[in-house]
Order: sequence, then structure tokens, then C-alpha cells
Amino acid sequence: MSAATATHDHHGEHAHDHSHDHHEIGFWRKYIFSTDHKTIGIQYGLSGLVFLLFGFFLMMVMRWTIAYPGVPMPGMVALGNLPLVGGFFTEWVDQWAPGGIVSPALYNMFGAMHGTIMVFFGIVPLGFAAFGNFVMPLQIGTIDMAFPRLNMLSYWFFFISGVIMFGSFLLPTGAVQTGWTMYSPLAETDQMGVKNVWMHGHTWWLLAMVFNISASLLGSVNFITTAINLRAKGLTWFRLPFFTWAMMVISFLLLLAFPPLEVAALLQLGDRVFGSSFYLPTGLMEGGAKLDIAGGGNPLLYQHLFWFLAHPEVYVLILPAFAIVSDVIPCNARRPLWGYKAMVYALLTLAFLSFIVWAHHMYLTGMGTMMSTFFQITTVLISIPSVILLTCLMITLWGGSIRFNAQMLFATAFLPMFGIGGLTGLPLAFNFIDLFLHDTYYVIGHFHYVVAPGTIFALFAGVYHWYPKITGRYMSDLLGKIHFWPSLIFMNMIFGPMLYQGMIGFHRRWYDGGKYFEQITSGHLWTNELISFGAWGLALSQVPFILNVFLSIKGGKKCTSDNPWGATTIEWAAPNLPPHGNFITEPVAYRGPYEYSVPGMERDYLPQFELEATTPVPAVPSSQAHF
Amino acid sequence: MSADNHEDLQQHVQKYKKIGWLLAIFTVITVALSFWELPTHGLNIIVGMIVAAFKASLVGLIFMHLNHERSLIYKVLVFTLVFVIGLFVLTYYSHEHPLVFKDFDGYTSGH
Amino acid sequence: MDIPYTTTNRPDTGLYNAKIGIWLFLASEVMLFGGLFSSYIFLRIGADFHWPVHELQVLPGFINTLVLILSSVTVVMAWANLKMRKIAQYKLCMWITILCAGVFMCLKAYEYYGKFNHIGVKLTDGTILTGHFPEGGYRVKLEEGTKVTINLKTGDPSYFLKWVTTENPKFKNAAGEDVLLDQQGSVMSLLDVFLPGDWDKSSFGQLKRTMAEAKKTSVELTAVTPLTIVAKESKTFGHTGKTITFRDGTIVEGRAVEDKMTLQVDKVDVRAALDEEKSLAWHYLGDEWKKAFEEHGTEEAEKHKSFDKNDERFLRHVKQMEIHAPTVAEHNAKHGGAKHSAETHAPAEGAHGAEGHGSHYPEVVLERKDIGFWSSFTPKWNNYYAIYFTLTGLHGLHVVAGALVLAYFLLFDGKRLKEDPEHLANRIEVGGLFWHFVDLVWIFLFPLLYLL
Repeated sequence: MSAATATHDHHGEHAHDHSHDHHEIGFWRKYIFSTDHKTIGIQYGLSGLVFLLFGFFLMMVMRWTIAYPGVPMPGMVALGNLPLVGGFFTEWVDQWAPGGIVSPALYNMFGAMHGTIMVFFGIVPLGFAAFGNFVMPLQIGTIDMAFPRLNMLSYWFFFISGVIMFGSFLLPTGAVQTGWTMYSPLAETDQMGVKNVWMHGHTWWLLAMVFNISASLLGSVNFITTAINLRAKGLTWFRLPFFTWAMMVISFLLLLAFPPLEVAALLQLGDRVFGSSFYLPTGLMEGGAKLDIAGGGNPLLYQHLFWFLAHPEVYVLILPAFAIVSDVIPCNARRPLWGYKAMVYALLTLAFLSFIVWAHHMYLTGMGTMMSTFFQITTVLISIPSVILLTCLMITLWGGSIRFNAQMLFATAFLPMFGIGGLTGLPLAFNFIDLFLHDTYYVIGHFHYVVAPGTIFALFAGVYHWYPKITGRYMSDLLGKIHFWPSLIFMNMIFGPMLYQGMIGFHRRWYDGGKYFEQITSGHLWTNELISFGAWGLALSQVPFILNVFLSIKGGKKCTSDNPWGATTIEWAAPNLPPHGNFITEPVAYRGPYEYSVPGMERDYLPQFELEATTPVPAVPSSQAHF
Repeated sequence: MSADNHEDLQQHVQKYKKIGWLLAIFTVITVALSFWELPTHGLNIIVGMIVAAFKASLVGLIFMHLNHERSLIYKVLVFTLVFVIGLFVLTYYSHEHPLVFKDFDGYTSGH
Repeated sequence: MDIPYTTTNRPDTGLYNAKIGIWLFLASEVMLFGGLFSSYIFLRIGADFHWPVHELQVLPGFINTLVLILSSVTVVMAWANLKMRKIAQYKLCMWITILCAGVFMCLKAYEYYGKFNHIGVKLTDGTILTGHFPEGGYRVKLEEGTKVTINLKTGDPSYFLKWVTTENPKFKNAAGEDVLLDQQGSVMSLLDVFLPGDWDKSSFGQLKRTMAEAKKTSVELTAVTPLTIVAKESKTFGHTGKTITFRDGTIVEGRAVEDKMTLQVDKVDVRAALDEEKSLAWHYLGDEWKKAFEEHGTEEAEKHKSFDKNDERFLRHVKQMEIHAPTVAEHNAKHGGAKHSAETHAPAEGAHGAEGHGSHYPEVVLERKDIGFWSSFTPKWNNYYAIYFTLTGLHGLHVVAGALVLAYFLLFDGKRLKEDPEHLANRIEVGGLFWHFVDLVWIFLFPLLYLL
């Protein structure tokens, strides 16, 4: 591979070319209002990480009151001593956590916002928008997204939606308190005492969601168009890396599933602001008084529209994980992805089925038995493609010479963690079991196994894997391992006991952790404390990761090559710190994406972008530079 | 459509005008049909929707050039339509035992 | 470094970027309106009220359909003309398209306006009366001593004073001092921010400042004079007889001396009445109207005798009647012949919005105890109007957005027209595709909402 000097040559050349071809872009255009997919990807990534961390903090406050109901939370009152913002916090804490004791309202608020932020502001932006934006155009060998300005707009819509969502914490009403699902009619009568309808946490939630949805739609249109029309020469459909396939499929899910949620949000906004009663049945009472509404609506409509999005959304949460892992595992096992085509077809089937399983969230709504049966069948069916994906990844490991670096540890840990998440979901697919487990901690344990140790581990793997391309330096592998092992232990310490709690009958919305329901919970309350300690331990074990991300920008070991992991996909053909326009020469795909350990070759990998095994990546830009 | 030459386009323009008139005529028919009361109102709705679907297909096929488009676009649209129909049908049938138990008698005695 | 395939097609897919993009976007739009249409189906199947059929004026909807068809033809012709480089014709077609969008929105605004000013009242026995407020709002007269609580964070007196029709209302604060309130309340509080100090001690601004110092969030005033309030329901959160809560958070609380609704009735609907013979409508409208209604019913029943007596359409014709005639006598004189069938299908609101203040309609004064629920024909009235406003409002937004995009191509893309007309043609094609989609949605909306 090219030596350190060659790499430097790249940069020298590119800097020269850059100033030659374009006029210098100012700071604002370059870093803030950038149309470059890589900058936007990084913007999404950083915002996503911040949101993820914030959502995690909300959860830790909740875990305190679950473990120690009625005990003042340490540090809560001390917020008032902070410089500058202290005065504000004193007031806020007085309102929501008087004396540092978390109030039920605050618990509900944090519960609702934890779900919202993690799903719509944490994982989707990080997994789909950040990795998709940064990696996907590089991986298909193009210079940028098909619509760069729409891409920028997408990020700024997302940003506005984040500002509105966070602003709602500061409203006199506080943020929304009705769970992330916002079920009507509870969600509509909630905060009704507030007369100015536009100043509700709930109304702000709906507005923020409208912006968030618009951002997702712009993003997904852009992703699909780019993947279809801007692929490099020779990159046929079945030479696309699995990552790109997954991004394309996720885009379709977002594109087609989000609009019904927009409808749900608009109708709920209508109910709250314009007095309609889409979701409000006739004769609804609130606090002993009949509401001044026409009635005639049906809460079931909300749930249909909501879950029509929210089930495909589950796959939007998990598919980026599969996307990343299926690039990381072959690369570090030095084996081709086993059953690549089967995986692609499984992915497409999964996406299709994910649209017709939504009502398995609604078994308890009194929906017809015919519908229940239909949705049970589709729900059980959808486990087949999921198992195909997981099995292919596991077989890929078979007989490989595995490098257990940080990203590979996370990627391999993803497999059993997702496995547990998926298998614990099977019982929930049947309505007779769901009857007992619905709204218990079992459900919480199940889907957190899928998204927390599942998706988030894969996202970590992605960060460690592509960090060299983003910064030109490695992250510390030692810190990575110090990050991994405690994370794995604490994740299981949190979510394992939840499955047990759920089977006892712990309800997911208990503010006091079930102290009040002694006949159910007595003798089991210690699990609450165990889980809470797990959560705080998990928080501590993220410290090495945060340090690693920021310190490695300047202090990490420099990469000596553009392809530090010996990977085969096209993004590694671009120089580290890819310039605006990405590639020095137009990349061409000569073969499939996973040519590792090709028999009879000296080197154990054969990149897509190399004509012959011996041809190095061209170091000198040709006349076609910046095609 | 982009490769069309001058004469073809000229012919297309004539075709667009004709389709415009056809759409206007069918709008009149839609209005007239709605005042003609068929045995059930459900039939009226079905007939009205058939006419509307016909008009919509004229717009889609001729104005939006779907009569000769690339397969990729058909694929996208077919999937979308499948999901929309799924949304219609499945929400429709979930009214089998809606929250307002209209058939409560049948529910208790019949089963 | 330009993005490839903005003008030319990629050979293997045969498409340029924007065309893929717009079709994907339209696919998501199909899901958006698909979700709304499925909500429509769901609400209509589950409706526990008589779903309105032929209740909207057909004419504006019909004209709007033709207008949109015309604009669809012109936008595709604009594209073809640009392809043939007939620039003048291209521009003409674009102008017609944008003009059509304007006409469409104007008609829409006219329809909306009629509904905002048209009132429906559901009496406690289920009878529905519709009509207009002769004074433009619901009137309540409150005794002196009425308590007015103004929320300092969200409101000021200028808001509720707009709806007080009493001349020179006087108020006292908690300490018993006179407080000057006038329509300039909001200006005062603005001045208060910019000119702190001693500019008007007896003002609301001063009071507000004192309250802020005392960390109070609201000001309580007591009316010295009786207050008459005529408020549109869109400005309040409803009346409970004693309390009126305004949208800005101001709460007016007192004993109502007068709490009755004056309504010019334009339609009686007894379909949901417990007992149509003893419907409260006749209590208010009198026996002559009852007679007229019965005659109208017999006549309609004769015309629709092929229908089952419980058929929704039979009830629609027989059990409701529009009241048009200047006087009962004239109405009785006129009835017979084709008059009634025209009436039944005649527009229920909209057109009457303008004439509502004439003496064409019998005026009744309804007691509060007889009013079950009332609202203007906004989303609040019933779910049919709710979905009507949602669907047409969202469609209207699409019309505006599409017209803005097309206007941008027409007015601000001159450079591209000169230098790269092929690229502009692609843009027009893409904009046109969106425009056709908007037309296509209307093709379904029109029969679903206006006709069926």
C-alpha cells in the first residue's frame, strides 16, 4: 500500500487542486451551512451523539426515582448553584422537583422525552443520517449527494426540530408528558388547563415532529436518488455494498412510513388547536365534566396511523446496525460476506413485511379478531428475514482470521444482543401472550435489547471503523476496549433483569418503581436498584468513548494509508479527510464488494476499485481529476 | 419524453388539449351522477370513485407521461400503491368490532 | 465539479436526478394523502352522526375542478413549448397556470369564509338548527362585580376588550383603585417595556409592573359596570355560563344576567331528534314552521318513496329543511313544484354568509339550557368538517407551494432560460409533475367531499 509520503502527496495535491478549481469557501459555508455530504454527515453525527447522551441523562433521573422513590436526587438542588443559569434552574427545580424529589410529572415528562429523543433525535440521525450521509456517497464513488442543497435543508430542518423539542422543556407547562406514543385521548386532554394552545409542550412536540419528518423526507429522497443515479461506473446493483443497500431500503421505509405519522400529528394538532374531535369519542368526560367537543372520533385511528409509521421505524432503527456490522465483520474477519444476495433479498422482504405488521402493537385495543390473526401471521413471518440476516453474519465469522479490535468487538457483540432482542420479541407476537406482557418491563427489555446493545453497539462499531476516514487518525484501541467490556456488562445488567421484572408484572409507567403495588412486587424491588446501578455504570463506561472521540482528533495515531483496515469498498479509495468532491480520480467498480481472502492471491483482499491485485491506488491525480 | 422531436411535441400539445376537454366532460358527468340516486348510496360512492379513478388515470398516464416511463418509477409507484391499499383495507377491517359496539347482541348471542 | 445527470439522463436508468427525486417525493405524498383518505374512510364508517352529503355548495367546487384541469393542461403545454423553444407560448402557459392557482385559492377562501360565519346549534334533544349570529357573535351580559383575571404572561386587556360592547366599561383593582383600561392595552404594555418609569401611574402598565415586582402572574380586576360581551367562539375557549375564557388566557367570571343565543335560522334538521313531533325547534320557531316542515316532509317523501324509510337519503330529504323565505306566509305561498327539490340540494352555507344579516331568516332566541353544543362550521362542528378542512387545507397548501415554485421558474430563472433551456425544461417538467399530482388529489377530493 502507499506509504506515508504518498498519503501526504495526496493531501498536497488535493489542497492545490482545491484552490485551483474553486474559490475559497468561507467559514460559514464550509462548516455551518455546508452542502458537502461529509460535513452534513458530521453535523448529524455530532448532534445525534449529543441528543443520545441527553436522552440517556433523562433516563438516569428516571432510574433514580424508580430505585429510590421519594428520596431527593443528589445534585438536583445543586443545579441552582451553577453560574449564569443557576437562577433559572432554581425556579425549574422548584416547579418540577421540589426539594430535589423528582415529581411524577417530571418522571412522565422525562419518560416521554427519553423515547422521543432516543428514537427521532438520537438513533435515526446517527445511524441513518450521519453514517448514511458520510459513507454512502463515498461508498458508491460519487462526488456528493444528488441534491446537495436539499441535504443542507434537511439538516437544518432537523436542527430546528431539535430546538423546538428542547425548548419545550422550558415552557411553563414543561415538555409533553404522555409517553412517546402520544396516545389519544390522554395526549389531547393532557395540559388542557393551559389556555394558550400554542404554548403547550404537546403542541411543540407536534410541531417539532413536523419539522423532523420533513427533514427525514428530504433526506430519504436524496439518498435514494443518489444511490440510483450517481453510482460509480461498474457499480451494478449486486456490486453495491450491503451498507448502501440497507441505506436505500431505510430511505424507502422513511419515505413511505413517515407521511402517515405526519397525518397523525396533523390530526392531533387539529384536535388540540382547532377543536376537532378526530380521536375523541362522543361523550368523553374529563375530571367529571363533559368536554366541549362534537365527538364521533375514534382513538383507534390515531393508533393505526401512529403504528403505521412506528413499526417500520423499528426497522429504521435496526437496519443501520445491520448495515454497519455487515461492513465491519467481513473486513475484520477477512472473509467475504456469506450469502450476500440472500441478505439483500432478506432485507427487501423485511422492508416489505415491516409495513404490514403494525397492528401487533394494538392487540389490546379491541381491534377485530380477524385483524389480530392477520397481524400475528405477518409478525411471525417477519422474523424469517431477520434470522437470515443474523445467520449470514454469523456464518461469515466461521473460519475467519478475526481481528478483535474495538469495532469488531462491538460488531460481534451486536449479534447475540440483537439475537436476545429478537427472540424475546417472538412471544409478544401472539396476542394471548401479549395480553399479559403488554406495557410491562418485558416489552421495555425486549425493544431495548434490540436498540441499545443492538443498534447502539453497531453505531459504536461504525464510529471506530470510519473514524480514520473522517479524521485521518485512528481512535485508541485500548480506550475502545475499556469502553466495550463495561458497556457490554452494564447493558445486560440493565435489560436482562427487565425481562424478569416484566414477567412478574412490573408496569412500565410506574413512577415509584412499583413500591405502591406491594402484592405484586414485594421481594423483587431489589431489581430496580440493580438496574439503576447498571444505568449509572453504563454512563461511566461511556467516558472513555467520549474522551477517545475528541482526543483522537489531534492525538490519535496517524493513518499511514487511505485504506487502514484493508477493506474492499470504494470509500477507502478516497484520500483520508476526503476533499470537497471526494476522489482524486473517478473510481470504477471492477467486482463485488466483499473480495476478502481470494484464493491464490498474495494479499488477502481485493478492493472493488482496483483493476488488478497489484495495481495500487493511483497516487497522482490524472487529468480527469474532479470529474 | 425528453428525446421527442418538434413534430411529436406539436402532436402531444393537441393531445393534451383533447384530454383537458375529456376531463372537463367527465367532471360534469361526476356531478350529474351524484344527483342520480342509485339503489344504495354505497353504489353511488363506488361509481363516483370509478369515474374519479378514470380521470386520475388520464392525468397520470398522459399529463404525467406514465404511459411510457422507466421501469424504476413503476416499481416505486407499485410499492407505494400496495402500501396505501394496505393502509385502507386494514384500517377498514379493524372496524369489525369498533369501540362503539354496534353489534353487541350478535357478539354475545351469536358466538 | 458538477453533480452529474442534472440535465441528461443516466444511460442505464434512463432518468435524470430530479425526475427520480420528484417521483419519490410524490410517492411519499401519495402516502400522506393516502393516510388522510384512510382517515376519511375510518371516520365515515365510524361516524355516529348523519354524514353530510351534498351539504357543500357544488358550484365553487365544480369551478375549481375545471380551473385545476385547465392549469394542468397549460403546465404540460408550457413544458412542451419550452422543449420546442417557443418561449412566448411557454411564458403565456405558465402565467395561465399561476393565475389558475390564484383563482382556485380565492374560491377556496370564499368557501372557508362562509363556513367560519355559519353557526350550527345542537339542541339538547338532538335537533340541529343552523344559521347566523345577527350580532356577529354569542352575546352574554354579565352583572357588575364581574371578575376579570388577566394572565400577565400571555395576555393583556386589549384582547378581551375587543369583544366588550358596553360603552366605557369601568374597572377597579384589588386595592379598590380605578384602573384605566382601553383598547390600547397592548401598546401600553409595549411602551412599558421601552419607557420604564413614571409615565402613567394609573395605567395597566403600572399595575402590571407592580404585579411583576410582587412575582404575581395575573392581575385581577373587578368590573364596576355591567359587561356585555359578544365574542366569536374562535376567540374563546367556550362559555360555561359563568366563566368565559379567552384565547389569550383572560378569564371573565360573573353572574350572567343575559345568556341567550340569538340566531337567524336557515335550516332545521330533526334527523337526530328524540321526538321530531316535540322537537325543541318548534318550541322556538312556532307551529307555522312546523306545519311548513311537515308539508315539506310529505312532499319529499312522495318524491323519494322508492327509498326505505330508514335510508339515510330518505331521511336527508325528508327530515331536514332549509328556511329561505322572507316570511312564513311567503314561504307557504311559494312551496310546491320544483322549489323544494332545489332547496334541498341548495347550498347550505357559503352563499348565505353574505346575506346572513338580512331579514330572510326567522330569528330565535335560544335559552342556554336548551343548547347542547354549538360551533361555527369549523373543524369543531363535526368530523366531516374537520376532515374537510384538513384535506382541503393541506391541498390548498400544496397549490400555493406548487404555484410559488412555478412562479420562481418563470420569473427568476431567466438566466437558465437563455443559457440552458433544456435544464429549465427539466425543472418545468418536475414542477409540472407536482402540479399534476395536486390536480389528481383534487379529482378525488371533489366527489368525496362535495358530492358523495
